[in-house]
Amino acid sequence: MRNYICTAKLVFGILSLTALGSAPLDVAFAHGDEKMECTEASMNAMTADVQAMNDGDAKTTAMKEMQVAKDMMAKKDMEACMSHMHNAMEATEK
Amino acid sequence: MRPKSVSNENASGSAMRWVLAALAVSFLLATAIAASLIYMGSFDIAADSPHSQPVFWLMNTVQERSVAMRAQDITAPSDLADPKRIASGAGQYAEMCSSCHLAPGMKRTEISRGLYPRAPELRRGSDLSPVEEFWVVKHGLKMTGMPAWGVTHNDEMLWDVVAFLRKLPELNADQYQALVKSAPMTHDEMMQDMEMGNGEAHGDH
Repeated sequence: MRNYICTAKLVFGILSLTALGSAPLDVAFAHGDEKMECTEASMNAMTADVQAMNDGDAKTTAMKEMQVAKDMMAKKDMEACMSHMHNAMEATEK
Repeated sequence: MRPKSVSNENASGSAMRWVLAALAVSFLLATAIAASLIYMGSFDIAADSPHSQPVFWLMNTVQERSVAMRAQDITAPSDLADPKRIASGAGQYAEMCSSCHLAPGMKRTEISRGLYPRAPELRRGSDLSPVEEFWVVKHGLKMTGMPAWGVTHNDEMLWDVVAFLRKLPELNADQYQALVKSAPMTHDEMMQDMEMGNGEAHGDH
């Protein structure tokens, strides 16, 4: 019985790890109903949103974050790109 | 032997001619390059491809200065804080403006997401003065999607919208909805009223 429980735990553990490992890394977030990803289309949409902001600290922050996101995208660092796009999005909603 | 002053004059005249010739050639070259770029379709006019920051700054500055100059002779009515005016403006805003400029508690619409430049979210306030807002609402803005509401609405109705815009940043979703419901007439009724000549006559701005 004890062996059975150990085997079941092991199988469950392996399955869980496999599922976690094979799950795609979630590198997207929602901006309103719009799914934002580190792609040229999303970058363009966010840039247009930032350009429409009233002048002020929030706009300055959003512009800087977008510039860093673009740099990260050029370096193919998608996680950092998404992180900075997310920061830019938060600034647009201030 | 020529006098020294005559020789100096000739030298400076010759230098001036070279400068003018260089300027003329530069101008022609710049014009030819610009014409070639235009003809080759190099400038991307797609609405999903935003302007570079320098071009955006240029367009924005042109717009701001143009509006400021044209609005400077307009005088705002003294009753922009009148609740009746604000309520009337709220009804018109909900009908005419909210699909692009959104409103408190409203999700982004398809049109607001696709417009370029984006229509500003007016619940966040505006840098424009009341007379500038009136001018923009009345005359619209080229290449932005902002229509000239003055073609179909009289000045008094447009000032109501301006009165509401001054109040909008203070409103939450419930207050906005309550104000829209309190509008004395629906937009269609207001238009009918205006067409029947009940709208007041106003000076041309």
